[in-house]
Amino acid sequence: MISLLFAFPIRAQQTTIRAQDSITELEAVTVSTGSPRNRIMQSAYSRQVIEGIWVEENLAGSLMQSLESLPGIQAASIGAGQSRPAIRGLGFNRMIVAEDGVKHAGQPWGEEHGLEIDQFAIGDVEISKGAGALRYGSDAIGGVINVRHESMPLRRFEGTTNLMIKSVNESVGVAAQVAGRAGRFWYRAKMTLIDYADAGVLADSIQYYSYYIKLHERRLRNTAGKEQDAGLAVGYAGDKLRTTFRIANVYTKNGFFANAHGLEVRLSKIDYDRSRRDIDLPYHAVNHIKISNHTEWQSERWRVELRAACQYNKRDEYAEPVSHGYMPTPPNTLERQFQKQTCNIGAEATFLWSAQHVVHVGLEAEYQQNRSAGWDFIIPDFRTTTTGLYVQDRLSLSEDLALTAGVRVDRITTGIDPYYDWYRTPVAGGDSLFLMRAAPLQRLFTCLTGSAGINYRTGLWVLKANVGKSFRAPIPKELGADGINYSIFRYEKGAAWLSPEESYQLDAGVYWGNERVEVLAESYWNYFPNYIYLNPTAEYREGLQLYTHTQSRVFRWGFEATVDWRLSDNIHAALTGEYVYSTQLSGEKTGYSLPFSPPAVATLLLKYQPHTTWTGPDGFIALHCKVVGNQYAIVPPEKPTDGYQTLALSAGRSFLWGSHRLRLMLRCDNLLNTAYFDHTNYYRLMDIPEPGRNISFLVGWQF
Amino acid sequence: MRKRIVLYILTALVATNCSCDEGKDMDSPVIMMNDSRAFPPNCATLYRGEQFEFRAVFTDNRALGNYNIEIHQNFDHHSHSTGAEECPVDSVKTPHNPFVYNQSFAILGSPTYYEAVAGIAIPAEIDTGDYHFMVRLTDRAGWQQLAAVSVKIADRN
Repeated sequence: MISLLFAFPIRAQQTTIRAQDSITELEAVTVSTGSPRNRIMQSAYSRQVIEGIWVEENLAGSLMQSLESLPGIQAASIGAGQSRPAIRGLGFNRMIVAEDGVKHAGQPWGEEHGLEIDQFAIGDVEISKGAGALRYGSDAIGGVINVRHESMPLRRFEGTTNLMIKSVNESVGVAAQVAGRAGRFWYRAKMTLIDYADAGVLADSIQYYSYYIKLHERRLRNTAGKEQDAGLAVGYAGDKLRTTFRIANVYTKNGFFANAHGLEVRLSKIDYDRSRRDIDLPYHAVNHIKISNHTEWQSERWRVELRAACQYNKRDEYAEPVSHGYMPTPPNTLERQFQKQTCNIGAEATFLWSAQHVVHVGLEAEYQQNRSAGWDFIIPDFRTTTTGLYVQDRLSLSEDLALTAGVRVDRITTGIDPYYDWYRTPVAGGDSLFLMRAAPLQRLFTCLTGSAGINYRTGLWVLKANVGKSFRAPIPKELGADGINYSIFRYEKGAAWLSPEESYQLDAGVYWGNERVEVLAESYWNYFPNYIYLNPTAEYREGLQLYTHTQSRVFRWGFEATVDWRLSDNIHAALTGEYVYSTQLSGEKTGYSLPFSPPAVATLLLKYQPHTTWTGPDGFIALHCKVVGNQYAIVPPEKPTDGYQTLALSAGRSFLWGSHRLRLMLRCDNLLNTAYFDHTNYYRLMDIPEPGRNISFLVGWQF
Repeated sequence: MRKRIVLYILTALVATNCSCDEGKDMDSPVIMMNDSRAFPPNCATLYRGEQFEFRAVFTDNRALGNYNIEIHQNFDHHSHSTGAEECPVDSVKTPHNPFVYNQSFAILGSPTYYEAVAGIAIPAEIDTGDYHFMVRLTDRAGWQQLAAVSVKIADRN
């Protein structure tokens, strides 16, 4: 326990540095046992910490798919082993995934781009919904999913090995780690290997537009993939100074459904059906390497945190070369390549001004450059420099009333290089040209954002409210694109004049809880004066439908609600619900929703933990019911999606022998083998249903 | 009291949701290529050095947008038509001077019914063989419909 207290304050970001804070932070981490009222009191916006063990019990094909059952969190799956996140329906560049407080720098703008984070290499996950702009700056409009790593191990030498198998895509994986300490120094090394086959779906064939595609053995042709990750952390943990150096590499390779890549139906001479474990064209191979340092120095009244990280994201996208329009058949299979290098450095000082005031001051700087290659053009090469400065004060008027207010200023410069086609296009007068697809551009964005909130506790109630402004600088694709997006077969045109997207949001939450029942309801009202929207027009450009980036006024509101009820010492029930409504208030699509709006979802969890000798210390069986509503609020080119219900069953227990612990976990998703569509998933546009019944098994050995 | 206010706000918002549905177009336009007047039908043969007339009927519940015709070679058999019928194909070959046609057409006046007619000349010197004839159609709201037929370009004699 002492070591736990020792380890967790390092992660504290928004809390005070008084002695009891280690305890409140610890309570926040161990959600099930701490006082939830204290946790709710800690932040004026929606903030939640998910333990690593929770992720294990809800383990799916990728990190976001595992977290999806949390209210307000959505995963847009790209097959069974990849996904990209969304918070309250805002995904892509409207939310941030961070590791230990450092923004993950991948290519989140792509519909088919999964998140490059190893779900076995995490300590816990901190989720902030609808806020985070103050700490993270641009892009944190929807919220922040901050993956936090474990720090100092508790023992001289320890380790874990997890083996898992999954039936729906015949996934086999192993995740192992060893850790140790010598005095104040420690290390932790991790490795994860996963290999999966083509996913099974509940359909013999797919009807796409009026094309009819037969499936071999009810498998989504060429959706196999693999993941190979490794990481090493070394650290020093003294009384006042703690520092961690970390290097991690995530490599994924995943195939895409062969017959509808790029929203065009394709036949190929590749014999996809000869094996379901091979990965043929089209496929993506992504390597993400991250080197970081996190240092914290703490004294009586001060805490200073330094974060520095460099990331290199290399994404290779391969497809069979096909001629289109005036583009001749390309000479190779490299459709697109992106190489993004990002370095950032951040410093945050927390100062205990008086017994009532805690002040945070932070400074951040980031440099990013991106280079593209391949025969397809989607984003121009660019360089972005960001600097941000923020200050926040938390005023505790009493034990039961706290006010928080902060402001942040950001300065972002984006420089875009010109791009010319590699082939000639005939122009008037019998001549032909290498057309310019992106014009050189230099933009400067400055943004002032802020937030203010209140937490009030009375009796069994906690009330909280937060009002904030966040922003997002337009990305180079939105500013500079002027060409065909082959992977979705449309012509995308950027707009160099776009202003930074701004979002005003009011969050309000109510909590009530006693020993047995806890209720948390959180609602939000969100207004964008200039939401950047990729508008499908009626026009054609080079033979494809023209989509233009424009800005429109958008209003959104929604809520999440959770009821936790401990019926007895053995039985726990949890009911959750989430709903998002969005509407465009101006522009060509006035009255329409926003793309990929998630449907309403309600879930019920019933968990039985008998606490008998034969079930061990933590044996459980749980039933998960999920009811998803219709999603008919759509925009072109989406399709209305009917609601569905699924059931899942999970059971697990541990066996203890001395310092060894063996953990078994069995889970069956989609128990009734229901055929359904998930509105926000990548394959939805191609009318491809979701996987059928999936049985997964996990064996973990800890020593 | 607080809960009551929240309830009022929720009710008001739900009420406004339903009222704005009326103005939205949620339907894609329709391309009628199976009509007997439509040309070319699936598996048709076109002749190089000649002109033919594309004909189809387009409809939409609100307002038609624009349409595009694209003809590209299918010498590698990379795709197939939206028609149920599979057409006989020549053996796979390498393109030398394939016919590339890509032309967009405006539909004036945003009608709900439109009989499209477009003359398309096939140059005499292009490669003969299997081609795709694709029609894309939008409506004013930005919905799109596709239709594709397989055609053969040959010499007339």
